[in-house]
Amino acid sequence: MTVEESDLVLVKRVQRGDKSAFDLLVRKYQHKVVKLVLRYVRNPAEAEDIAQEAFIKAYRALPQFRGDSAFYTWMYRIAINTAKNSLASRDRSPIAYDLDLTDPEESHSVQTKLQDPDTPEGMALTEEIRGIVNSAIEGLPEELKTAIVLRELDGLSYEEIAAAMECPVGTVRSRIFRAREAIDKRLREVFEGGLGRTEEMV
Amino acid sequence: MNEDRQNERDSQLSAMFDGELSAAECELLARRLTRDDALRGQWSRYALIGAAVRAERGVKLDDRVARRVQTAVTLEISYGDGGAADVPAVARAGAVHDKRARVSAYERWLRVSRPVLGAGIAAGVAVMSILWMRGPGMDGGSVDNSAIVADVTAPESTQVTLVPETTTVAANLAPAASAARTAAGSGDYSTPAPSTQTSMAPPAHLANYVVAHSEYSGPLSRRLALSGLVGGEVAADAAPDTQPIAVKPEAEKRVASDAP
Repeated sequence: MTVEESDLVLVKRVQRGDKSAFDLLVRKYQHKVVKLVLRYVRNPAEAEDIAQEAFIKAYRALPQFRGDSAFYTWMYRIAINTAKNSLASRDRSPIAYDLDLTDPEESHSVQTKLQDPDTPEGMALTEEIRGIVNSAIEGLPEELKTAIVLRELDGLSYEEIAAAMECPVGTVRSRIFRAREAIDKRLREVFEGGLGRTEEMV
Repeated sequence: MNEDRQNERDSQLSAMFDGELSAAECELLARRLTRDDALRGQWSRYALIGAAVRAERGVKLDDRVARRVQTAVTLEISYGDGGAADVPAVARAGAVHDKRARVSAYERWLRVSRPVLGAGIAAGVAVMSILWMRGPGMDGGSVDNSAIVADVTAPESTQVTLVPETTTVAANLAPAASAARTAAGSGDYSTPAPSTQTSMAPPAHLANYVVAHSEYSGPLSRRLALSGLVGGEVAADAAPDTQPIAVKPEAEKRVASDAP
């Protein structure tokens, strides 16, 4: 089974009336959709608003989704159209990408704008999570680290990873799971330690 | 739940997140995910780990968008049988079967009862009609057929009285009428044959004769004489064995007698 087919199982459940299956799809793709929308709008908070609107549009259009394309591809188009419509309605232009990013000052300005969260707390949380995850990955055994990086960063399938690491697919599945469990354990320890997100994250 | 089973379930969740779980297992786990909040939280963290590894700049690593969407979606309509997704498939199938059985029984009852109901209504209307016809003035329900036949043949009788001198000719001309009268007398009904009478101009010499002597007759007499001519002409055509010449003296006599 592929990611597309796995998503289709959830989509069909939504089409049969299971709203919580749609929540799983949103949880899975929310960060990717926000990142996509950030190509069109500068403000992360605005990008979140547009992503939210795009997901709601997708939910309303889901009865017409027949699975001819992957759910994320379909969602990708809805998000781009929503972002463009939002820009058009506010009569603004998308971010120009012909900036000279070799200029340290200009590059720093763009990166700062893109990373600018709503609140200092939000920024601190994001940075902390990122630090924990990177730290946890660094602490993993080499075979687990390689497997999770090939999967999450390079987007390879289990079969491709198995070919690259010269091991059975079942071993790849186990390694990726163990890597996630190790990172997740670290995250839970931190959030249960009082970052204020215990209810959401656990 | 023991640790091995939990590990197996978490391993399945990880594989499902990557789209590497078999379809059957995926369906079962999806069903469980809709009910198990802890499992859903784990699903969220797997997504968050991926986002952190990819270092998606500007993306906040929380579930705020998902929570807002979830709140909005609760206000939206549910598709399909709305909320029945968690009901076991067997129970749903049973419910559908029961519903279909109820519907088919109702349809079967309708199919049988419709003709019976229609026949009942028709019989009721027929009984009402008979009772209405057996009202005052109708004794015993026997209908006088002769009266009806007499009504039907009335025009023929009128024609005969219009030309009293040519009754024998008219009897030859209208055998159907006489047959009808006979039938009326016997109480049987017979349909009169269509009349063969056609409009024809009288012979020129007879017409000239009538016109020449019109000064001795009134308009009514002249009209009767012309009617007689027409009747004589038709009689000659319809019954060649009869003597058409016999008509002429009768007409002449009548015209003469009508003369002032």
